Amino acid sequence: MSVTVIVPTILRSLTNQQKHIDMEGSQVSEVIDHMDQQYPGIKEKLVANGDAHRFINIYVNDNDIRFQDGLATSLRDGDVLTILPAVAGG
Amino acid sequence: MIKSLKDCTVSGPFKTLPSSAAAMGFSLSYQSDRLGLKVTDAGNHADRGIFSFGFSAPQVRPINCVITGWGDCDQPGAITESMMQAACGLMSVHGRSTGTIQPFGLPYVSTVTTALALQGGMAAALGNLRGLSVSESHISMAAAALLSTSQYIADATITSLSESLPFGDADYSPAPPFVSADGIVFELETLNPDPWLIFWMKLGISRPLAGKGWTAFLLRYAKAIAPIPDELVRAVSKLAYTDISRLCADAGMAICRVRTLDERVDNEHFKSNWLRGPWVFDYAAPQPDFPLIPASDSLPLSGLTVIESCRRIQGPLAGHLLALLGAKVIRIEPPGGDTLRGMPPVSEGCSVRFDALNRLKVIREIDIKSPGGQEEITEMVRHADVFLHNWAPNKALELGLDHADLHRVNPALIYAYASGWFMNNEGISSQSPSLPGTDFMVQAYSGVAHKISQACGTRGGTLFTALDVLGGIIAAQGITAALLNRQLSHAGARVTSSLLGAAILLCSDDFQSRHEFFDCVPPVQSVLNQVFETEKGKIAIECLDEDTLQRLIQALDLPSGDENELSQRLDESFLSRTAAEWRVILQQAAVPAAIVMEDLNDLYGDPCLQPYLETGSYTRVTSPWRFQ
Repeated sequence: MSVTVIVPTILRSLTNQQKHIDMEGSQVSEVIDHMDQQYPGIKEKLVANGDAHRFINIYVNDNDIRFQDGLATSLRDGDVLTILPAVAGG
Repeated sequence: MIKSLKDCTVSGPFKTLPSSAAAMGFSLSYQSDRLGLKVTDAGNHADRGIFSFGFSAPQVRPINCVITGWGDCDQPGAITESMMQAACGLMSVHGRSTGTIQPFGLPYVSTVTTALALQGGMAAALGNLRGLSVSESHISMAAAALLSTSQYIADATITSLSESLPFGDADYSPAPPFVSADGIVFELETLNPDPWLIFWMKLGISRPLAGKGWTAFLLRYAKAIAPIPDELVRAVSKLAYTDISRLCADAGMAICRVRTLDERVDNEHFKSNWLRGPWVFDYAAPQPDFPLIPASDSLPLSGLTVIESCRRIQGPLAGHLLALLGAKVIRIEPPGGDTLRGMPPVSEGCSVRFDALNRLKVIREIDIKSPGGQEEITEMVRHADVFLHNWAPNKALELGLDHADLHRVNPALIYAYASGWFMNNEGISSQSPSLPGTDFMVQAYSGVAHKISQACGTRGGTLFTALDVLGGIIAAQGITAALLNRQLSHAGARVTSSLLGAAILLCSDDFQSRHEFFDCVPPVQSVLNQVFETEKGKIAIECLDEDTLQRLIQALDLPSGDENELSQRLDESFLSRTAAEWRVILQQAAVPAAIVMEDLNDLYGDPCLQPYLETGSYTRVTSPWRFQ
């Protein structure tokens, strides 16, 4: 599956300042693995102990993957995978 | 109360203030009294600004503390709370979640202004004791209001393209709080998505929809909105409150009923909290060889070092205020940095909302959970003046970084805890709720949310983080008082403040109205306090008395009529001119009025606000204090 990954500002130093990256993968975890091959170091920013890092939000088409199947969330052609750092405050 | 500050005096025109400044006069009087300062009435000091008061400490020249409305822009006529809420963007932030721009029914800017003014006076006296020669501390209501919204201003004014938060496209209700089948209004809280998911699935909500709700829920702190899908609001409205409470307990989610102020003000526990004030102070023994640390530049806290280990808003804002007063603030962050540095929107590699509160600090990355990290912090504290944290209850003890641990290495230390609920130094009070110490929980519990709902015709409080901000301000104020006390008595101290204390301060006039503890009159309600649509823009009007309302009626050339007719005629009349035109007309008629700042991007365009703002990759709010 071909998907577009939107990279947050804070991680763009790892992606040669690219904001949008086209990647392949049938699950979120596969996409992250492929990203890590191309942009080493990005996986450890996104994944901790086999799950999405607590302070990272990953959305597939605006749906938080923690409310789907986590890193095993399946992807379809044309999906947009958005990575956002923590948004909570207070 | 700090007994050692009993020789310091606050002297102001508390009994002769105009009604527009009564809320400030009352709050200043309450804060001063609870800090143990001697409060005296000293006639009218309104030679400049709204009013001024004197702050005097033994051995040094007194400080004239001037409070203005707009700083150099002040013109004759009353300047009111609602004018400031309107002109400085608070109303628009508050109105985001309800869709209606309106005053939020609390003396918020007045309270923040007086807390900062009193802090300015104490800091200036401390500076004088340390070699400065300050004679005046100046603050404006506008500067205080802008400081309160600095994170929202940063968020709105970022100049580079940054990521935006997903809003979703579901139908949504305006905002929490929720309402149960038996009509009980309540707030939910969790900082973790798992309890949220479990709770909503028990109510039959699908995972994706619960996820949409979670995304909306997170926007409360970031954007002051919470577009919760309607399906969630409806699902919870079908159950009784006790059943919802049970589901929350099972899921691990917190729930708090929106309690009325009436339930609070007659409570004995609340009464003791109110009588103590928003801080708790404990003192160490005086140090015979306490050194004089001279000020290192013209700012009153220069030369002093603060170690801060805080997250989110309340604690970091306290550290920021101390930095604005000249202290060197060393901020401890976990290895890799605080994750909120990446919180959208980001500019130049850092969240602008984060930067707004932390830009003046020196960062040290330390793992506070490791023995090596704890040792490093203890060593840093040995040479510091203040240690400030906002950790969860009991965490300081677990880390070996409690006040007793750190006072052992530095007996002159000011050990400060900016907490959620903590109201005494002997442990968490048995009557404090076992709820997360977050802004919206404390608003619900304390009566603040209900008070706002009564003023606004809404169900609950404000998603503007009113208590986090005021909590940060009173934490910094308590630290400054403790530093002044230390300079006078050579004793270190522990100072604890809380969001609940901030809530009590914000509603202190309600308690006074009921119990008349102090010899002063609490502020009265305005006879008209409303926002009107005009031909272009909105205008906020606040008539504090009947005479002002009559001047408004004459200025608009309205016939006399009953209240309902008047309301309708006002609505219609204001549509005939622009807000800017009405402001000129109403200024001439001596009716308090301000154009509502609907877009925070427009703040810098107001020449009266520019002195407190600085443009760049985002608009920064500068120090609210001016010292001479």
